[in-house]
Amino acid sequence: MSTGLQTRPARQSSALVVLALAFACLVAGLCVVSFVGLGLDPQTQRLLEARQPPTPGHWLGTDLVGRDVLARVVHGASVTVIGPAAVALGAVAIAVPLALVAAERGGVVDAVVMRTSDTLLALPSILVIIVIAGLFGGGYWLAAAVLVFLIVPSGLRIARSVALGQKNLPYQEAARLIGASTPRRMFVHTLPNLLPTIVATLLLDFVAALVALSSLSFLGLGAPPGSTDWGTMLAENLRLIEQNPWACLAPAVMLVLTAYSATTIGDWLHLRLEGRRG
Amino acid sequence: MASGNGRPGADLLSVEGLRVTGHDGAALVDDVTFSIRPGETVALVGESGSGKSLTAKAIAGLLPRNLTASGSIRWRETEVVGARERVLRTLRGPQVSMLLQDPFTLLNPLTPVWRTLAETLPGRGAELRLLISERISDVGIEPARARDRYPWELSGGMRQRIGLAAALSQSPALLLADEPTTALDATTQRDVLRLIHRLQRGHGMAMLLITHDLRIATSMSDRVVVMAKGGIVESGDVDDLRSGGRQEYTRRLWAAQLPVDRRLADLRVEARLDGAGAAPVPDAATGGAGAGTTPILVVRELSKSFAARGHGEGVQALDRVGLELARGRSLGVIGESGSGKTTLARCILGLEQPTSGTVELTPGIARRQVQCVFQDPYSSLNPSHSIGFALAEAVRHRAGAPLSRREVAAEIAATLHSVGLDASFARRRPETLSGGQRQRVAIARALLLRPEILVCDEPVAALDLTVQSQVLQVLRDAQAGGLSMVFITHDMSVARQLTDEVIVLHKGRIVETGPTASVLDDPQHEYTARLLASVPSGDREWIAGPPLQRTGAMTDG
Repeated sequence: MSTGLQTRPARQSSALVVLALAFACLVAGLCVVSFVGLGLDPQTQRLLEARQPPTPGHWLGTDLVGRDVLARVVHGASVTVIGPAAVALGAVAIAVPLALVAAERGGVVDAVVMRTSDTLLALPSILVIIVIAGLFGGGYWLAAAVLVFLIVPSGLRIARSVALGQKNLPYQEAARLIGASTPRRMFVHTLPNLLPTIVATLLLDFVAALVALSSLSFLGLGAPPGSTDWGTMLAENLRLIEQNPWACLAPAVMLVLTAYSATTIGDWLHLRLEGRRG
Repeated sequence: MASGNGRPGADLLSVEGLRVTGHDGAALVDDVTFSIRPGETVALVGESGSGKSLTAKAIAGLLPRNLTASGSIRWRETEVVGARERVLRTLRGPQVSMLLQDPFTLLNPLTPVWRTLAETLPGRGAELRLLISERISDVGIEPARARDRYPWELSGGMRQRIGLAAALSQSPALLLADEPTTALDATTQRDVLRLIHRLQRGHGMAMLLITHDLRIATSMSDRVVVMAKGGIVESGDVDDLRSGGRQEYTRRLWAAQLPVDRRLADLRVEARLDGAGAAPVPDAATGGAGAGTTPILVVRELSKSFAARGHGEGVQALDRVGLELARGRSLGVIGESGSGKTTLARCILGLEQPTSGTVELTPGIARRQVQCVFQDPYSSLNPSHSIGFALAEAVRHRAGAPLSRREVAAEIAATLHSVGLDASFARRRPETLSGGQRQRVAIARALLLRPEILVCDEPVAALDLTVQSQVLQVLRDAQAGGLSMVFITHDMSVARQLTDEVIVLHKGRIVETGPTASVLDDPQHEYTARLLASVPSGDREWIAGPPLQRTGAMTDG
């Protein structure tokens, strides 16, 4: 007999989740600050003050051409985060309807969708973007657009398998017997049950896009030189590692912590949303 | 370790003031005290949530991590509560062994039968092989038929037998059997219980039998402990219990048992305790105005086969099945797992396309007027939507024309009321409802479509007995309102209460058909007779005696 007790998967330590949420709020705050400005001055070059370690005037020191590193890190938040966020939203917006249709239709439709996604999954994304950048002249947003399609498959696979699991449950068949249309069943009955998966996928896709786009920027193929993108900063300030290590450490640490917080928050949200269902 | 009762060593196992608490401190099992002497069978009876399984797990030292046991569980002279894993390991196997409910997850699917058994047996080589064969034939299986097979190649009954062979391999002094036959078919259940009984006598082994079925408890055991909501309601000699029990709760449990030999006037437990409901009524009492012989549904020569996956033969789920349902009548479809009864239901509902044959509805009846109540109450409702949302969807789809919110709400409230639920249930979410409540909501949803035919696929099989009778009464009330019904069940007693006519399905074929009363009182086919004989009677004779069959069927389950 079932005893009505479910052993939940081990909950993540709540302290970690709180830290991750706090850091996410910090990054969001930095984004706002970088839009509003607040007297930040990320671009002025002071050649006489270049390559300085932290001073009371420049808390994180200055870079090769004397720009304030702290101001650049703060300003870089929005530049670095918005691209991946857009990529993740775009990928999920494509993946979820495709997954619903593939699971519902099955057969040829499912095969075409899934084999295409397998093919995309097999491509090394950075390499593909480098090649396309070489052919079409590159640019940050072209790279982001290509990345959307390369990131779709992972979320698509997960969403499809969850949708397949729902497809033959009695409540779906009851909806069929009532006379509910196929789109209604897909979007009113199946979609809400995909929510935990969608949220988790969104954050995982965000992390994947963040890593990919900053890598491209690091290689000089994403954000233009001189941009405050954390990947670009990391690449440019690597030469300063002996005079002012903070200039490259700060953007690197921000990247790692942003990715880590997003993953942690994704796991936590997924568990919470799943737990709400009987 | 104080042994205050002054008779140390008399009891094999003594449980005193056992309390199991969750991480929030709530007691799931509270103040449970009983003891088992060597060779004795004690049954722990209760409905779901009574704490009977947790008690067994606490005895075996297998409680989930987030639960803690306190009080005392003494195994001869050893205290189990709070004992180290090392101490517990010396008890499990040679002293205490456990047989679990689900034969489908009991055995490791990657391990052939012989290796599962070898883990607990001494010796090696030819000697070990001999021992393994001996254990397999002990549980009534030809060794060659099972030894080299994997669990997924065996039927549920055979798996449970292998589980039993593994549990008994070290000749334990006590067997903890947790609902060992609940997941099995009725005929297999009786075979396996008889086997357990015989082996138990042979080994001189004591047993703690956990079951929800009072009749199984009384036919198997010497003493019975009745549990409810984590505590003991009463405990005593099996004869006390057979005569009805001393406590109100036990009497309710007895009253909830549905008889197979007569039809009751009112199925609700309260009505039956009064005596009024327990009065037998003529069998053809269902059907309101308009009940008659005009067929509303005709199934002709229906066959359905499923293609095999990978290599192996396909499955012929239905073989030229025909039936007629008259307006306002209720037709029972009786069969065990693998009989094709669910496939038949799905073909009637249009959820499955038959391979050949036809399902005809009387002209004028739309597909939407054939509705269904499914077996599993937990997946019958979409977890993402409120009860009100699900019911409103049904109303709106039936009405076609737009209805005002107030009209929809009024209709929902009226229908909820008719299935015995308060109108406030519309605001609740599925996960806050019990199994019985969910099943009533599912019935309400079907009724809101104003169906002509309601197909019920084992609607109460997943519910506790007392809840079963409430849900069945709701369905009976719907019948009285003139609804025609196809009622699928494996339970002969349920068929007796709900149907006018029955067909008996065995391996996709109809083996017997006729009015419910005459089929159940005087079965003509040998298979129907065997099904009837496998309904627990509560007597000792039901369990004593030789097994009905030597082996379980290979393909069933």
